[in-house]
Amino acid sequence: MSVDPQVLARARARVLGVPSITVAEPVPPGFTGASDGTRVWLLPEWPDGATPALLEEYDTAPMPLDRPGQARRVLAAALRCCWPRLDDAPWPGQDALVIDVLEVYVGLSRGDADLARRWATGELRRLADTGWLLLDEAAGTVRPGPRVALWADETLGPLRDLLRRLPEPVREDAP
Amino acid sequence: MSELFEPLLRSYDERRRAELVAAYMAVEHAAAPVPEVRFAALREPALRRTVEAMLGLSGRTLVRAATKEWISGYRDEVAAELAADPDCAPPADERAVLTLVLIHSVAIPRAAGLLADDSWQSPFPTPVEELRRRSQLPIGELEAALRRLRVAGLVTQVKAGGDEAGGFVPGPQFHRLTDAARRRLQEELILAAGPDSPLAAAIRARRRGRSNIQGDSK
Repeated sequence: MSVDPQVLARARARVLGVPSITVAEPVPPGFTGASDGTRVWLLPEWPDGATPALLEEYDTAPMPLDRPGQARRVLAAALRCCWPRLDDAPWPGQDALVIDVLEVYVGLSRGDADLARRWATGELRRLADTGWLLLDEAAGTVRPGPRVALWADETLGPLRDLLRRLPEPVREDAP
Repeated sequence: MSELFEPLLRSYDERRRAELVAAYMAVEHAAAPVPEVRFAALREPALRRTVEAMLGLSGRTLVRAATKEWISGYRDEVAAELAADPDCAPPADERAVLTLVLIHSVAIPRAAGLLADDSWQSPFPTPVEELRRRSQLPIGELEAALRRLRVAGLVTQVKAGGDEAGGFVPGPQFHRLTDAARRRLQEELILAAGPDSPLAAAIRARRRGRSNIQGDSK
């Protein structure tokens, strides 16, 4: 018994996380495409605009994160740097330096700054593994991940308020 | 509106439709099986068939975890296709580490009668030292493999506390195995842990028989 290729493509995408194709290729049926102009990331299409946030209404625990507080703070620090114009949409955002993100994170945490940087580096990798960030370790840059494109604009108010309260990255080359 | 699901959802009124969507999102994204008492579309067989059809669009199916509890997993024929795809199969070091966790946290306690026969959840963590020694992986590679297995929900870290040693146990994805997948995993574990045992010989003989039958029918 062979599997319908479109069904298999959607199953495969779930295994791969958030796969990407070039903008020249058509987005296969059953996906929402998030394009940055060069590539298109294939995000799952959910029925009736539902998101996994729906689980909260039903008192149902989502897949657990190892250190949810730290993961959220590192994601916030990264977004503070690569989503500079908060009135725009967060996707596709722009490249930010990893060292800037680490400094913003250090500003949010108490205790040993070197240790905080090390924790945050591991967390950036985990957030990249799961599609929340796009991390280029060789170039030392990070930008928002395609999953961010799934956030509905009307739900972004509290996140924008929170990010406005975070310290901005210190730019040595700033005028 | 989603074009993918519309043909399945079109005939339902607004309330039923919302119940179907809630059940679908819950079984796809929950950490553990969800009780049907909380989801009307899992409770009623006719609606449950529609949830099953919604999952089928992505190669998924409903898995009954316990009485009146449900979660989703890959359909068996889809899992077989994915396993044969080199882009989808995890690399050898991750598989090796996961196998060690299953042997230490499940196979050994099960052989000692400390775990139920069909459970892949375990309260017995595999110490990281054991993983380092048996996997023979450099510590950096072992840590990277464990990070990816944790992110994928295939292992869960258990913190050390009091007299309890820390380590790793099978993760929440093991709730999502179909009956056939559980059987296959059980057989693979026997083949890995006791390749020379009579049980392993029986499994190999049965598999040879099955592939001969499939070969004949082609």
